[in-house]
Amino acid sequence: MFAWKHSVAAIAVAVAMAAGSAAADVKIGINVPLTGFAAADGKSALTGAQLAAEEANAAGGINGEKVELVVYDDQASPKESAPIATKLTAQDKVVAGISGSYSGATRAAAGVYQAAGTPFISAYAVHPDITRAGDFVFRTSFVGEVQGRAGAKLIGGMLGKKRVVMITLQNDFGKSLAAGFREAAGKFGITVVAEYPYSIKDRQFGPIVSKVKADKPEAIYASGYFFTAGPLVSQLRAAGIDVPVIGQEGYDSEKFIEIAGKAAEGVIITTSLDRDSDKAETKHFIAAFEKKAGYKADMVAASGHTAMKVLIEAMRKAGTTDKKAIRDAIAAAKVEASTGTISFNGLGEVRKDVQVQVVKDGAWHHHSVISDPDLLAPPSK
Amino acid sequence: MLAFELTVQGLVQGSIYALIAVGLTLVYGLLRILHVAHAGLFTLGGYFGVLITNATGSLPLAILVAMVVVGVLGILVYRLCYQPILDQPPYVALIASIGLFIAMEEIYRLVFGPFGISYTDAPLTDTVTLATLNLKQGEILTMVGTVVLIGGLAVFAGRTRMGAAWRATVTDPAMAESFGIDVIKVRYLNFFIGSALAAAAGVLVALLNNLVEPTMGSVPSYKALAIIVLGGLGDVRGTLIAALALGVIESFGTIYLGTILDRDAIAFAFLIIVLMIRPQGLFGRA
Repeated sequence: MFAWKHSVAAIAVAVAMAAGSAAADVKIGINVPLTGFAAADGKSALTGAQLAAEEANAAGGINGEKVELVVYDDQASPKESAPIATKLTAQDKVVAGISGSYSGATRAAAGVYQAAGTPFISAYAVHPDITRAGDFVFRTSFVGEVQGRAGAKLIGGMLGKKRVVMITLQNDFGKSLAAGFREAAGKFGITVVAEYPYSIKDRQFGPIVSKVKADKPEAIYASGYFFTAGPLVSQLRAAGIDVPVIGQEGYDSEKFIEIAGKAAEGVIITTSLDRDSDKAETKHFIAAFEKKAGYKADMVAASGHTAMKVLIEAMRKAGTTDKKAIRDAIAAAKVEASTGTISFNGLGEVRKDVQVQVVKDGAWHHHSVISDPDLLAPPSK
Repeated sequence: MLAFELTVQGLVQGSIYALIAVGLTLVYGLLRILHVAHAGLFTLGGYFGVLITNATGSLPLAILVAMVVVGVLGILVYRLCYQPILDQPPYVALIASIGLFIAMEEIYRLVFGPFGISYTDAPLTDTVTLATLNLKQGEILTMVGTVVLIGGLAVFAGRTRMGAAWRATVTDPAMAESFGIDVIKVRYLNFFIGSALAAAAGVLVALLNNLVEPTMGSVPSYKALAIIVLGGLGDVRGTLIAALALGVIESFGTIYLGTILDRDAIAFAFLIIVLMIRPQGLFGRA
């Protein structure tokens, strides 16, 4: 009995030591909302990032070491994300981090990563201040203003609609989109007839719909996420408003089509993921994600995958776990990812084309691509 | 004409508020508990509405089952959560209720998933045109359904023996008990009716938005509190009027004050203004 106890203790020590050596894996931190209102996006972003890590490990890891994701739930709240970033950098000693969260949470985490000298990539948050935290912070998605300008070109330039009503979500995402849209509107001959703000909690748009109907616009530029845009579009159509509705990457989910049903047909969005892409990388991602997640890929999933892939590629190139070397490798990146060819400007903002998708026969499809480096130039300071 | 449309839209929203807030004010009137978890039962009603409609294709069946099952769950919430702490100060029940509400949201997320659920073939989405006014059938059902349910409640409370017992208990529990009324049964009845109405509201909101999310109850959880305070705590008639008034005020506010105040802020601005002028609520007696 006594000897048996000793052997158990020996095994426990051996296991602990084995776990200790396993901890030599390369740790990458990720903050994502897994509970609360943004949990759906968090799930997609995390699954996308996990897919990229699994793919890297299956291909031999990073310079022989396995990637280990350290995951924390930030509830899309800066109150949570700042302590999480501190924990990741100081206690878990991650070599780099990713945000799979919204702007508020990502901004708060970015400052902590910068102070710790740890590279940090924002997967899909839109606020311009995120990369301004410093030279260790990067973004693989569009800032809101860039996508807003693309929306103006789509409506005024490509669809030829000039009288536009804006329906704007009152958060970082919606406000920065609106700012970019207004900035470029004049260039494409667009007159903004009216702009109606709404809160992220709103699902009932009856009053706004009534007013938009009276405004008689030629097109509607409405910012939002699938859970606000789905009800909004179905209510607009039910009221007999049949002008084009232009959205953005927040709509980019199968769930939008499920919620809006027939009303979703013909809705056009600016986003990062082309469902009908003939690029091998994108095709592969779309198939692999659906297999892993059990539902179709969306923009957030592709963005989580892209951010992780860019980071892994940079770490391979750097050939070391030195954070400064990894930072430099990210800054010099040119990576083929599911959301396009990723490279960064001096501020750490991504340069890539805007994908335009349209709902046809109950699914997202290719509409066009906006490739206009001047119009789409991200902020550089 | 726009004013008319905004009023109608406000009444649709106000109907939903009314169905939710009535249950809340009934609970407050009887037990002096601020029943925040009520909004969690409202969300559950939405889930039942969508799931049963998708499984059977019958919306009326879904409404009926949602109301009965959620009504019974309302009784269980009282029996398991509130009854053991009734002799504690009111804030104890309030804290328990908030905790229960948060737990419910997270349970819905775990059980039904974070993405929310929708009708596979959403019923009552066709549009009815009255002059220049376009209304979805679902919006008409919301208003008509609210009138029928609240009307039924009024008849029940005013014309039946059980209703009389209920009103007597609300007015004076000790006296009612001495007249042989089973006070516990009245409490069960109270929670059943309030929760069933909230469930009906949940099914209707699911119909209007074609989306039920785990956090669907978060706005009603506090807005309904504002409404019952406006209506004079425990006053059903006042609560109904406050709910409809708030719906209409929000509707106009969204268009004409939207750039200054968001919809939820309008409710609380209205609440503050009313309480400054009439601290006892819109219809309460000083």
